[in-house]
Amino acid sequence: MKTILIIAWRNIWRHPARSGVLLAAVIAGLWAGVVTVGTMNGLLQQRVDYVIDSELAHVQIHHPEFLAERRPGDYIPGHQQIFDWLGNDDRVKAFSPRTMADGMIQSPLKTSGVRIRGIDVPMETQTTTFHNHLTEGDYLNAGTRNPILLGKALADDHKMEIGDRVVLFFEDTSGELTSVAFNIAGFFNSASTDYDQRNVLVRSSDLMPLLAGYTHYHEIAISLHGDANPAQVAADLNAAFQGIEAETWRELSPELNTLVELGGVMLYIVTIVIMLALAFGILNTMLMALFERMREIGMLMSIGMSRSRVFMMILIESIILTLGGALAGMLLAWGSIYHLSGSGVNFGMFADGIAELGWDHMIYPVLSMPEYITILGLVVFVTMISSLYPAIKAIRINPLEAAKQV
Amino acid sequence: MSIVKTENLSKVYNPDTVPVHALKDVTLSFEQGEFTSVVGPSGSGKTTLLNMIGGLDKPTSGSVEIDGFVITGLKDSKLIDFRLNNIGFVFQHYNLIPVFTAFENVSFIMLLQKRDKKELKQRAEELLKAVGLGDRMDAIPSKMSGGQQQRVAVARALASEPKFILADEPTANLDSEAAMNLLDIMEVMNRDKNITFIFSTHDQRVIDRARRVITMVDGAIYSDEVKEVALVNN
Ligand SMILES: Nc1ncnc2c1ncn2[C@@H]1O[C@H](COP(=O)(O)OP(=O)(O)OP(=O)(O)O)[C@@H](O)[C@H]1O
Ligand SMILES: [Mg+2]
Repeated sequence: MKTILIIAWRNIWRHPARSGVLLAAVIAGLWAGVVTVGTMNGLLQQRVDYVIDSELAHVQIHHPEFLAERRPGDYIPGHQQIFDWLGNDDRVKAFSPRTMADGMIQSPLKTSGVRIRGIDVPMETQTTTFHNHLTEGDYLNAGTRNPILLGKALADDHKMEIGDRVVLFFEDTSGELTSVAFNIAGFFNSASTDYDQRNVLVRSSDLMPLLAGYTHYHEIAISLHGDANPAQVAADLNAAFQGIEAETWRELSPELNTLVELGGVMLYIVTIVIMLALAFGILNTMLMALFERMREIGMLMSIGMSRSRVFMMILIESIILTLGGALAGMLLAWGSIYHLSGSGVNFGMFADGIAELGWDHMIYPVLSMPEYITILGLVVFVTMISSLYPAIKAIRINPLEAAKQV
Repeated sequence: MSIVKTENLSKVYNPDTVPVHALKDVTLSFEQGEFTSVVGPSGSGKTTLLNMIGGLDKPTSGSVEIDGFVITGLKDSKLIDFRLNNIGFVFQHYNLIPVFTAFENVSFIMLLQKRDKKELKQRAEELLKAVGLGDRMDAIPSKMSGGQQQRVAVARALASEPKFILADEPTANLDSEAAMNLLDIMEVMNRDKNITFIFSTHDQRVIDRARRVITMVDGAIYSDEVKEVALVNN
């Protein structure tokens, strides 16, 4: 076995240039592939974090019918017990109750349909980073009566300035139409223009009395500590309380979930495409090496080297070459990703375009251990398959035929 | 008992298209300690005969028996094993593993035989010294002359302690000095260690060194002479 290893090793260096090129190709291919996947992953991760951090949070609680029907009366029953529960759970970083209404906003210019989101400013600030989207004015804590925040896009549509007054129309819990004047306290500019045009922010303490004569919330957004499992927290909440539904961000935002799954698929696709290219390189090089050595292998079989040993010899040769390259490539990629996950990759040249979509121009590539292992598994698999073929070809050599080759 | 016996050995190549009768009913036997040359014009069937005896090719009919054991009809994998442990080969060219030194080439076959490491090293050294390459043990084949390479091949063939050594035109690629030198070594091994050699050749001076000369024509034995004189030379 050791001897076979030595032969394989020396055979590799028989054509240093050829082996070197293959090795370099494997290393470069893997490096590029893994870094690409890592960057893509980082991009998706950033997107997911962005959405979760800025508004969605990890888990949300609603009345089971609220999301489908959006009736003002479908508020969360027994919210105080839920607050207590959340306050005592170590996994919960912060939570923010929201009171909501769907209605219209009217300015002297026109009327638009909007979702009115009533928030508790201190709690919301701890739970989400939405305050970072504020471009002008302050976060509803001005002394003004009935302050309201508008998306910049909506404000532009209505040609409104800070200090201007708008009127909100909406139904209260008893089905009565209510209209109230709010004073514009600031503008926000979030990820999506669409969101900015359809959402306005007010204080829940202002909105609540207009909807009903008692404290009530339609939504509780819960942000968790990094290692907590949202699905578990949601399940615990559903088990602990009747008449509510706790859902994770994956359930709440199917688009986001799809994006994450797409990332996983991309990982496979990119890896498989790279591995296919590598497999052809490996096959080509090994078959070339084999063809040159037909006579020699024929001689070895003539003097009594068994087919299984010939098989091992060729197999080991290609495995050393490709797996060696692949491991080196992955190590290099790991190093690059480790470095880039700290420094980030600057996509500043495309910044205008991606900022509009709510993407940051700094991307921090990431790849988790399971993803590295998946790639490694694929690499080993493809290497084995493409190394098997030359080895099988080698044992099919007929010593006498081979001897006649010139 | 004969070390090699062939019984009505025939070989037909391409039986379905253009049949070539390369061997026709060859019945021969070789004894331990022979130094035999197979001669004959090109295409007369020398290589075919040696391949049959060496278990490298299968006869169309007839059989080959080596040291009382019929190898005809053995499975390929069994034949490979049989060759490893019973027959030494010296080919016309491409005898050696290019990435191995002379020493490693000789050791290799013993490693295939799973011999004891220490014994193996000593034996490889002894054999390389015996073929006059004591100072070239660490040279790789491409750094050796054709004659030196063939001598390594002889040492390799001897290393496995075969029942006999087959050599198909071992001197064909050598100049006459190297050819005679190789023959000297083969002769010494034959005389001192009673190693059986069966070799084919076109070279008259090599033929002159053989003690038995089998002449083939058209796939059949034309003559089979034993020269008693050869022994007197020394
Ligand atoms: N694989 C093969 N297929 C078809 N015909 C073959 C094959 N091998 C040998 N022959 C034919 O069999 C006959 C005997 O060939 P062989 O190689 O045994 O001759 P030889 O005496 O060794 O010749 P040489 O002195 O040229 O080496 C020749 O006619 C040759 O053309
Ligand atoms: Mg021949």
